[in-house]
Amino acid sequence: MDKPSYNTDIVRSFINWSIVWGLVAVLVGVIVSFQMIAPDLQLPPWLTFGRLRPLHTNAGIYGWGVGTIFAMFLYIVQRLCKTPLWSPGLAKFQLWFFNATIIAAAVTLLLGYTTSKEYHELEWPIDIMVVILWVSFAINIIMTIIKRKEEQMYISLWYMMAAIIGVAILYLVNSAAVPASLFKSYSAYAGTNDANVHWWFAHNAVAMALTAPPLAMFYYFLPKSTGVPIYSHRLSIIAFWSLIFMYLWTGAHHLLWTPVPDWIQTLAMAFSVMLIAPSWGSVINGYLSMNGQWHQMRENYLVKFLILGITFYGLQTLQGPMQSIRTFSAFIHYTDWVPGHIHMGTLGWVSLIGFAGIYYLVPRVYGKELYSVPLANLHFWLVLIGQLIFSVSLWIAGVLQAGMWNAMNDDGSLTYTFMETMVEMYPYWSARAFGGVIYLVGVLVFIYNLVMTVKKGSDPSPALVEAEGRA
Amino acid sequence: MDLASILYLGVTFGLFAIFAAIVFRTYRRKNKDRNESAKYSMLDDDE
Ligand code: HEM
Ligand code: HEM
Repeated sequence: MDKPSYNTDIVRSFINWSIVWGLVAVLVGVIVSFQMIAPDLQLPPWLTFGRLRPLHTNAGIYGWGVGTIFAMFLYIVQRLCKTPLWSPGLAKFQLWFFNATIIAAAVTLLLGYTTSKEYHELEWPIDIMVVILWVSFAINIIMTIIKRKEEQMYISLWYMMAAIIGVAILYLVNSAAVPASLFKSYSAYAGTNDANVHWWFAHNAVAMALTAPPLAMFYYFLPKSTGVPIYSHRLSIIAFWSLIFMYLWTGAHHLLWTPVPDWIQTLAMAFSVMLIAPSWGSVINGYLSMNGQWHQMRENYLVKFLILGITFYGLQTLQGPMQSIRTFSAFIHYTDWVPGHIHMGTLGWVSLIGFAGIYYLVPRVYGKELYSVPLANLHFWLVLIGQLIFSVSLWIAGVLQAGMWNAMNDDGSLTYTFMETMVEMYPYWSARAFGGVIYLVGVLVFIYNLVMTVKKGSDPSPALVEAEGRA
Repeated sequence: MDLASILYLGVTFGLFAIFAAIVFRTYRRKNKDRNESAKYSMLDDDE
């Protein structure tokens, strides 16, 4: 059968830009982690912790996370549908609009414009840019799926569609605001309702931006890398629908012990615990797909990234439900435990899968063999060690912090002042900064390897040429 | 029980029913080959 002429230029560009924003996110992450141990390290007003922190989270989630989503989805959708992209022109527009939006976001955040809603800080004009961006992406992917040549839809396509539709709904609902001036708006919701809608958005952003897309990539890149199919497509379908069904109710686990009605909190708690099942449905599917293939963990660097990635997803989706239980939440909420959780997800799960996807794609879209497999392995170990130092030190810090906050004297007064608990954190925050530097070095090795691949990589193996139909 | 509670309960059971139908349809022996076929065809799309 003639191979369709897939559009690879746009995939290349998105890979390049997502790496740029990923580097910014990690670099700023390292800077803010040093600002926490050396509070004098601030250049007011633009480069203070308060301005750099949202820049870090936005660059991480929207620049790096969503940037890789764009690159991978645009590649995968063409392959799984066996048809070229519906509109290359629209994809090009999406690329430039994506960068314009991220730059506008970065500049306004540094200037101090913010809605003050975490993960939805951008003021209304940039909100509108985000909507235009997402609609252009959504139309292209959905139209490509509609005109597909392959009748059965592989599981990755289901996760991709969920992410596209899910993000659109969440973002639109949570964006509702009344503009007061060009860079100031007031939420359309008030008080507790505002908080409830916001955390419904934020947790489902975790679902639709940091869970569904990496799962789509995992289900695609694992079999592609090992050469054997996933264990069960039917299991993946059931896990998908149950994940979609359960996630939407869990937002209020961020609002335990708040004025949000008790029944909403309890509902969120119950559904969060139930989420273990669909999450582990995918983890187990991934592990069982490795039956007879475990030797590839030693031989194939892609498999290492993917299997460690899904393992961190598994751990994340056990830890998350635990944090959703009222008594446990009462202990760890507001402590450093939570950034430990977040970075196991973002650095362990989301980024490892993103790295694997990029390693898989770069040789294919540039038509070159990877410059150095040993460097890819070095990258793997650096980011793994960096992330573990980061998360483990913060979990210990969180437990210590919670213990100190809860300690009471016989007369019922608090044993420690807040300042004393802060001072105790310094060694752990230093360890986090150290872990962050190791991670950053890993990312630099990754970038070096890719640059050298493009510049000096040898011609592709015949299999790769055949794969891209360039022979 | 007021109308709102009956409605909530109805929606919840409705969703469970839809989910049960998905499970039934996916795992029906008759559909096995069709539902597993995508995992094989995805492997030969560009390899
Ligand atoms: C080595 C790299 C990184 C370092 C050193 C780092 C460091 C930090 C620091 C110091 C904070 C502030 C914690 C606090 O306020 O207590 C933070 C928050 C955060 N970072 Fe990172 N980060 C890194 C990579 C990333 C990446 C790649 C992402 C996303 C893909 C990310 C997502 C987040 C999020 C969502 C938060 C908010 C946490 C919260 O609300 O508790 N980080 N990071
Ligand atoms: C079954 C799945 C999960 C559940 C039930 C869950 C649960 C939770 C809970 C209860 C919190 C609030 C902690 C607190 O502030 O006390 C939280 C925070 C967070 N989780 Fe998870 N989690 C899950 C998976 C994930 C995954 C896969 C990621 C991906 C990176 C992630 C990223 C985050 C982020 C970014 C926050 C910080 C929100 C904030 O700024 O307060 N979670 N999670």
